[in-house]
Amino acid sequence: MALFAIFQTTFFLTLLSLRTYQSEVLAERLPLTPVSLKVSTNSTRQSLHLQWTVHNLPYHQELKMVFQIQISRIETSNVIWVGNYSTTVKWNQVLHWSWESELPLECATHFVRIKSVVDDAKFPEPNFWSNWSSWEEVSVQDSTGQDILFVFPKDKLVEEGTNVTICYVSRNIQNNVSCYLEGKQIHGEQLDPHVTAFNLNSVPFIRNKGTNIYCEASQGNVSEGMKGIVLFVSKVLEEPKDFSCETEDFKTLHCTWDPGTDTALGWSKQPSQSYTLFESFSGEKKLCTHKNWCNWQITQDSQETYNFTLTAENYLRKRSVNILFNLTHRVYLMNPFSVNFENVNATNAIMTWKVHSMRNNFTYLCQIELHGEGKMMQYNVSIKVNGEYFLSELEPATEYMARVRCADASHFWKWSEWSGQNFTTLEAAPSEAPDVWRIVNLEPGNHTVTLFWKPLSKLHANGKILFYNVVVENLDKPSRSELHSIPAPANSTKLILDRCSYQICVTANNSVGASPASVIVISADPENKEVEEERIAGTEGGFSLSWKPQPGDVIGYVVDWCDHTQDVLGDFQWKNVGPNTTSTVISTDAFRPGVRYDFRIYGLSTKRIACLLEKKTGYSQELAPSDNPHVLVDTLTSHSFTLSWKDYSTESQPGFIQGYHVYLKSKARQCHPRFEKAVLSDGSECCKYKIDNPEEKALIVDNLKPESFYEFFITPFTSAGEGPSATFTKVTTPDEHSSMLIHILLPMVFCVLLIMVMCYLKSQWIKETCYPDIPDPYKSSILSLIKFKENPHLIIMNVSDCIPDAIEVVSKPEGTKIQFLGTRKSLTETELTKPNYLYLLPTEKNHSGPGPCICFENLTYNQAASDSGSCGHVPVSPKAPSMLGLMTSPENVLKALKNYINSLGEIPAGETSLNYVSQLASPMFGDKDSLPTNPVEPPHCSEYKMQMAVSLRLALPPPTENSSLSSITLLDPGEHYC
Amino acid sequence: MKVLAAGVVPLLLVLHWKHGAGSPLPITPVNATCAIRHPCHNNLMNQIRSQLAQLNGSANALFILYYTAQGEPFPNNLDKLCGPNVTDFPPFHANGTEKAKLVELYRIVVYLGTSLGNITRDQKILNPSALSLHSKLNATADILRGLLSNVLCRLCSKYHVGHVDVTYGPDTSGKDVFQKKKLGCQLLGKYKQIIAVLAQAF
Repeated sequence: MALFAIFQTTFFLTLLSLRTYQSEVLAERLPLTPVSLKVSTNSTRQSLHLQWTVHNLPYHQELKMVFQIQISRIETSNVIWVGNYSTTVKWNQVLHWSWESELPLECATHFVRIKSVVDDAKFPEPNFWSNWSSWEEVSVQDSTGQDILFVFPKDKLVEEGTNVTICYVSRNIQNNVSCYLEGKQIHGEQLDPHVTAFNLNSVPFIRNKGTNIYCEASQGNVSEGMKGIVLFVSKVLEEPKDFSCETEDFKTLHCTWDPGTDTALGWSKQPSQSYTLFESFSGEKKLCTHKNWCNWQITQDSQETYNFTLTAENYLRKRSVNILFNLTHRVYLMNPFSVNFENVNATNAIMTWKVHSMRNNFTYLCQIELHGEGKMMQYNVSIKVNGEYFLSELEPATEYMARVRCADASHFWKWSEWSGQNFTTLEAAPSEAPDVWRIVNLEPGNHTVTLFWKPLSKLHANGKILFYNVVVENLDKPSRSELHSIPAPANSTKLILDRCSYQICVTANNSVGASPASVIVISADPENKEVEEERIAGTEGGFSLSWKPQPGDVIGYVVDWCDHTQDVLGDFQWKNVGPNTTSTVISTDAFRPGVRYDFRIYGLSTKRIACLLEKKTGYSQELAPSDNPHVLVDTLTSHSFTLSWKDYSTESQPGFIQGYHVYLKSKARQCHPRFEKAVLSDGSECCKYKIDNPEEKALIVDNLKPESFYEFFITPFTSAGEGPSATFTKVTTPDEHSSMLIHILLPMVFCVLLIMVMCYLKSQWIKETCYPDIPDPYKSSILSLIKFKENPHLIIMNVSDCIPDAIEVVSKPEGTKIQFLGTRKSLTETELTKPNYLYLLPTEKNHSGPGPCICFENLTYNQAASDSGSCGHVPVSPKAPSMLGLMTSPENVLKALKNYINSLGEIPAGETSLNYVSQLASPMFGDKDSLPTNPVEPPHCSEYKMQMAVSLRLALPPPTENSSLSSITLLDPGEHYC
Repeated sequence: MKVLAAGVVPLLLVLHWKHGAGSPLPITPVNATCAIRHPCHNNLMNQIRSQLAQLNGSANALFILYYTAQGEPFPNNLDKLCGPNVTDFPPFHANGTEKAKLVELYRIVVYLGTSLGNITRDQKILNPSALSLHSKLNATADILRGLLSNVLCRLCSKYHVGHVDVTYGPDTSGKDVFQKKKLGCQLLGKYKQIIAVLAQAF
């Protein structure tokens, strides 16, 4: 019992002491209230910085406490943030805490208060919050000066995509303020009458010079001012990519990475991000000077493992990447060197190279690449230090590029860079016979064979082809063969062979040797038999040809072709086809639309003799004719005309000409028979006639109206369409009567022309007949005048009618004649006793006298002589007026003279000459009609005179000294007198 | 004392003009003599006229380059942001005597020179890639330096003016970026305006 009482007492005492301790602690905890709260601001970071202390903390004691902080904006009742801050508080410790405001601090006043509670395990519940501290007011006064508008925050740096709040403070609440982001208006929330805040969500990066945000205050339409800020938006710092480190000499680690976007900003707001390399095993750190690589010196040979952390950092963010690796697994070899080729021949070579030595017993894996002829071969080889590889199955005369790279064979990390070199294999003899074909032209007495061959491909040429050997062997006379060497790159030659069979062998030769021979045989018999040409239609893919197989054994077929219009030598092609094939498709890019190609198909006999099987011609694509024929209009009548275009060639066209379209326009709406209505491209109507025969190149257009206007246009057409549009040719049919007039007028014109020609041919006769130079008095019009006047005295008298009363012939003595001839004295020196008159008479008996000189005057023209001294006048007696009529005709005068001379029987004919000269002089006075009326008056000189030239050997009657009335002419060579 | 502060030293300062010349000048003696290191050229006035004409010819291009480089809203709000509302800008009276005009020209060129130095410094930081603008600013500052030297020579040699009270452009180093852009734009607008008047007056 006593023991129980002791235990009970002890229990109560313990309980009492515990309660007492508890009461003491609680009594001490109640004053643990935050005091000395001070609030400062960081305008740039828009943060409030709080510092306070906790009084009455036990000395050297630590307590875990929770502080609750309340922040109000504008007024204390407007609490915008409440939060707890837990920390361990020491005795006499100044506590710090920061809070960042999304709203620029300049825009509103903030209030802060704090309370606390002990939250320590040493003090079990219940705990009690302290009282709130008093409100601390925080106001950033930057809106000073005379300005009426302020915008905040200034020059703020943010990251792209973040949310930013800006605000303006307007001194005058009457002002209307509008704010803009890069020219686009933004709308905000009014915090108080002076302050409006704008929440910009996920701001974009626009430029590294910053984004202008500005506000304009205005009253009505009057601007009161404009203020702005520059918001520096940085791009988001990226995590470095592809971070890796490697060594090529076990002395330096070369670390590289992809830095991503540069986050540098203008105005030095933010430089480019920096990079730091940290190795955790060694604890070393290095600030990298380059943005994408950094070298790390390997100082400890024993360190095999490395753990690197690469940190990228700018003012807003840090990003890190980490790699852990074994150094021997990150060996990046330097590229091999001394790459060479040994024992290079036509088909193989030995490649050698060296590798930079790393460590002893290091094995390298090397990869060889061989590039040549568009192909690539790859080989792998394991080596120690010196590498060697045998390259086989190479092509002769081919340039190859071989390169090699190596890596650590034990722990493959990365291939080294390539090291390579070119080499060329040697030439070999061509491996294949050239593809040869020919064109044989038969000429009188011989064959002209044009040989063509295709150049060997590089694969078969095995080197540069230098020349082609053409061996021509006469099969009929085996002993005769010729060798022609044609230098490359010629691909044809021409041979003129006689009418024998020949075998032609062609080989291609390079510097090493000759190719196998290509053999063709030219038969002595004409081979180009007449084969009808067949038209075929090509397609864009080419021409599909088929033919009937050649009877008998064939070793193959050859299809050759060329452009229809071009020179054969320039565009000749052929294709070899196997013996069992009777069709092929000729497809080549060389085929052009609108070009006609001629194909010939030959069968090759076992004797290699070619036999022409078929001919085909066609277009890969027919085109419409490129030009229209030149049309002539013939036989134009009032009801028809003929159109002809004979010169138009249907062969050289871009398609097979199928016919012609004739378009005819006329005023009449109805088309002529055979024509049908058609609408032209310009919408006009006309009549159309189709000619289906391309060789029909004329058309008679009839049933036309006279004096009508027609237009026509002729164009050929192919399967692709008709020729180009052109202007219509105009034709007007003539009047219906005009043809009749032509029928009459033409003969008349012909007759007139005929008459004119006749007249011209007979002009001399007509002249003599109709208007002679010496008019015939009988034909003169004067006669009719005379007859009209019935003047009995002016009739023309015939000679026979004239019976003169007397004829006096004055003869000169013979001696005088002789003397005259001998002395050649002047006529004036001759003495004449009396004037001599000669009357020409029809009888001979009165011509006994020797008077040789006759002087007379034709008085038909009564004109004065120009020179009275040079011509004499026959004095006409009034008794003999009838003599006028006698002298009017020169024929009569001639006749009279002839009679007279003939009457001079004793004068030898050879010594007497008689000339009849007609002289024409200008009339001096009077008219012809007046002449006969005054015959007595001797004119001074006669226009018309008959002169007789007398040989000097004749005896001349000596004229009287004053014989001015008689005209005597003596003609002597060198001397003339008149 | 204020008058004393503006003596020969400002003249020496402008001869060695550098960016940021708006810093306070050291105090100089009152009776500083009118001394220049180099003999003045004969046709100073012609050179001054020529330099003014040269500046006037390039002022508008410089202004355009500047406000274009600042981005919106500057190009479209020239009247509000780039108006020639520059406080403390030295006055100029075109109808004064040559001496008075030269003294006023001197003050203006000093003001413009310091302001242009600040603008050049700011733009090189803010717009490092605007090389054309930088080049134009530098060229203008060079001509202004030559002009100031010639005005000094003229004042000193003909009118024996030893010192001139000068004022400097506002120091923008403490301003925010937008304010720097705006002040620069206003200054260049004013420069464009006044240089035309000066070129006409001489």
